[in-house]
Amino acid sequence: MNEHVIDDLDAYALGALTETDAERVAAHIAECSPCRAEAAALAEVVSTLPDAVPSREPSAALRDRLLAAARAGAVVGRRPSPVPWSLGRVRLSRVGLAALVAAVVVLGAVDLDAYRRLDTAASERNDLYATLEGLRQGGRWWYMAGKDAFAGAGGTLVDPRADGYAPFVLFHDLPPVASGKVLTVWLVSPDSTWARAASFHPNGRDLQAVPITMEVSGFDRCAVTLEDSSWGARSGQVVMESRIATAPTPAVP
Amino acid sequence: MPDPQPSDDALLRSLAERDLGALAALYDRYGRLAYSLAYRILGESESAEDVVQDAFLSAWRGATGYRRERGNPRAWLLSIVHHRAVDILRRKTTFRPAPLEAAELQPGDEDTAVSAERNVEHKTVRDALEGLPPAQRRTIELAYFGGYTHVELSELMGVPLGTVKGRMRIGLQKMRRVLERTR
Repeated sequence: MNEHVIDDLDAYALGALTETDAERVAAHIAECSPCRAEAAALAEVVSTLPDAVPSREPSAALRDRLLAAARAGAVVGRRPSPVPWSLGRVRLSRVGLAALVAAVVVLGAVDLDAYRRLDTAASERNDLYATLEGLRQGGRWWYMAGKDAFAGAGGTLVDPRADGYAPFVLFHDLPPVASGKVLTVWLVSPDSTWARAASFHPNGRDLQAVPITMEVSGFDRCAVTLEDSSWGARSGQVVMESRIATAPTPAVP
Repeated sequence: MPDPQPSDDALLRSLAERDLGALAALYDRYGRLAYSLAYRILGESESAEDVVQDAFLSAWRGATGYRRERGNPRAWLLSIVHHRAVDILRRKTTFRPAPLEAAELQPGDEDTAVSAERNVEHKTVRDALEGLPPAQRRTIELAYFGGYTHVELSELMGVPLGTVKGRMRIGLQKMRRVLERTR
């Protein structure tokens, strides 16, 4: 186990560490029970600080937008509505966005301008998953939630199961990684063999598509680790993972 | 009959089961606080609303990964809001909001009745913060609301890094004791 990080726990709780230092602290507290307990206690103290600021009411529309976005993400496989919806200053129909996503992600056409527009659409990204699923009816997807320093980030492994389309992972909100580090996507077989499916660096954008170089079938888990090298066996910390074979995308009524 | 006031933990369990009602309840409970925090950090409403929506959607998607041992649901949710707001703030290299004194000059928009009720519980936190020596209070405010790292604060305040860490540690420990006494 690394040295205790008690000296940095206050700054960690206050969010006052660099990403690199925060990753180091997060990696330590994931393994160290006393530091984890202290970090949790400090987090609860820090979570009272918002009570000290003047209270403000968000617009009533925010609640509706939030629930609509969550609902769209939950209702997978349902055909998207053609009703136009707001993307900040940009207005696109869902069909238009579907085409955009298809061009950028599903068909693998990496277009910088399209990516910029996807950034604009970041607050509605949950809808993208439903859109992707609508495009790929019969395909499967599994969501991996980021943990520790990757909390708030995540990735959806999409297996199109259609001729001519390779699996890929659509990541969102990836934090930068330290120099020399690389993120690696793994597929894990039932006998716990870890197969490297892709290695990449976060591009700093809200959304990032990473193609997978092998078939998903035959594996029962996918994971993302932070590695020192883009080759060799797994040795890094798992930052997100999901079971894939035994828990396919749930059909939400 | 369902519990009319489910606990935060119960709401997160329901969130993990994709219960949209739980998301609505969580937003009703913490949406205003989350927005107030995001607004305090970013200083404008559009970005603050984006942060809040993003944070609740992140909680919606990531509830299965929540671990109680890392902090209570409120702390977890607000940490997501804080992390995202500060991330945006740090990309704006030319502007950092002033400490809390300046923010307090800007009135909130809460109506009187709601404000009176909430102020009882929030006064404890304000008192705990205001009861700190100015250097400790300013360090905590600039770190949490201003998005400064401890290294940046060392340079900004012209004191060694160890002093910044010490002010954070002692200040938070004092607040912890005050808050524990009032529970």
